[in-house]
Amino acid sequence: MSLLDDQYTGTVRWPRLRQDVAIVTWPSFLVASVATMICFAFIDPMLVGNDDYPPPAFASRMSGYAIGFFFFWLISALSSLLTLYLARTARPEPPARQDPDEGTRSVQ
Amino acid sequence: MTTPEATQDGGLYATRQKIYPREIGGRFQRLRVIAVFVLLGIYYVLPWIRWEGRQAVLFDLPARKFHIFALTLWPQDFYFLTWLLVIAALSLFFFTALAGRLFCGYACPQTVWTETFLWMERLAEGSRSQQMKLAKAPWNGEKILRKGAKQFMWITFALWTGFTFVGYFTPITELAGKIASFSTGPWETFWVLFYGGATYVNAGFMREQVCKYMCPYARFQSAMFDRDTLIITYDERRGEPRGARKKGTDHKAKGLGDCVDCTLCVQVCPTGIDIRQGLQYECIACAACIDACDEVMDKVGYPRGLIRYDTQSGLEGKRKRVLRPRTLVYATLLAVLVAGFAVTLSGRNVVGIDVIRDRNALYRERPDGRIENVYNVKILNKDRAAHEFRIAASGLPGVEVDYLGPTVWVAPGAVQSVPVRIRVPRGELQGGADVILSLEAVDAPHLTASGKARFIAPTD
Repeated sequence: MSLLDDQYTGTVRWPRLRQDVAIVTWPSFLVASVATMICFAFIDPMLVGNDDYPPPAFASRMSGYAIGFFFFWLISALSSLLTLYLARTARPEPPARQDPDEGTRSVQ
Repeated sequence: MTTPEATQDGGLYATRQKIYPREIGGRFQRLRVIAVFVLLGIYYVLPWIRWEGRQAVLFDLPARKFHIFALTLWPQDFYFLTWLLVIAALSLFFFTALAGRLFCGYACPQTVWTETFLWMERLAEGSRSQQMKLAKAPWNGEKILRKGAKQFMWITFALWTGFTFVGYFTPITELAGKIASFSTGPWETFWVLFYGGATYVNAGFMREQVCKYMCPYARFQSAMFDRDTLIITYDERRGEPRGARKKGTDHKAKGLGDCVDCTLCVQVCPTGIDIRQGLQYECIACAACIDACDEVMDKVGYPRGLIRYDTQSGLEGKRKRVLRPRTLVYATLLAVLVAGFAVTLSGRNVVGIDVIRDRNALYRERPDGRIENVYNVKILNKDRAAHEFRIAASGLPGVEVDYLGPTVWVAPGAVQSVPVRIRVPRGELQGGADVILSLEAVDAPHLTASGKARFIAPTD
């Protein structure tokens, strides 16, 4: 067979640090997008601030939305980071145990 | 044993390896190309379509109004959006149960944009083997030219994507003018670069690694799978034992299966898995391995479909069931939600009222002996025509309402504030009670709305 003109591709893996950055930033980005949508559906950024002493907290609606989004992203990224840290630093599960009745059971 | 083929180049965090998926033609790849053209076509063209003198689809965030053709949604209509998201999620469940990861292979933005970036890469750098040769080659004129051309196309396309994205939120024709004269606002500039940059990184560099490491759907899809879900699968019973053979030999006599072990299915895989090891969560159902295998089967004269769309039951030679409790439940729920959405949306109240008490005084005693409260009434006219509104008060004995004029005119899609005075004869009421203010369009009596507010009277 001459169909094989290139070598086997194989599976490549991302290094651990890159995986960590990705799984912290990406889910928090998704959650922050939803949170921003819900939050600003109910709150007009131009009405945020001290009612009695204008001006409002944000210079414009657009900056209110943007700052709100990045705030949510930061908060949810912090939560993801803590979760990741706890999951990564936990003591590993004990290895597979021999059960005479069921045979070898492996812990995933 | 073969070694993984990859090149090393300085990545952001560590040495990274790049997959060079082999290009492949075939019926499923044609389908994917059509999907890319349709979806990206919609994305890039939609903001330029006009409707009644304005942009047809405009999520006007500064004005807090969403325009979708004839429909204008206000923040008060937020639940429609929630409803829509629920419908979208349920559709995903339904189609996943039915046909596996159709979304991933054909419609996911990540896949669609990656596909276009791969085309640009091939246009500039050539086929898979040429790309790998170029990566190993020293930096000469040709390499600079080819890599530069690729980067130019990528960056231009990514910036255009970012521009289009912002064009959904700010009128795109104005935005184009601002960009041409370098006078975009800070946030507009930022979001164009942000979305463009995300496209560039996601589609140019991260590609299917996003699906492998970052996509939650890839991980929970198996919860929606059952034995009757259509998946991309290798027919192990037919293919094994795999092995190379000379053309024309009777492989069955030699004890070989139909798989010639050409590894093309692995070479074309953008996530770099071997489909012959069974269903894996990295598989984005792009069907490139099906097309590759069909081509090989044609060449060696075996029937197609060693790798194919099939269900687990189908592989075991059992009957395929499309209608089953899971799909029926999803389909019923989906139908109910869509119908409910359509009915609610068409019958949506396009008039709204907001009653806010004047904060300066609790009440005022008028010389004619009546107690007066002042309110700021906001009339929302979400309709596409202007209307004259009449305001009436009820719920209090002897109540009368005064708002300077018989009617209030409100422009289409506008909010009008009206100071409203409500009077009740002294002695009819002690302390406080609720008053109901109702609104009716004079020219369209079916447009009504009402709001409640507190009326305060002296306690003596």
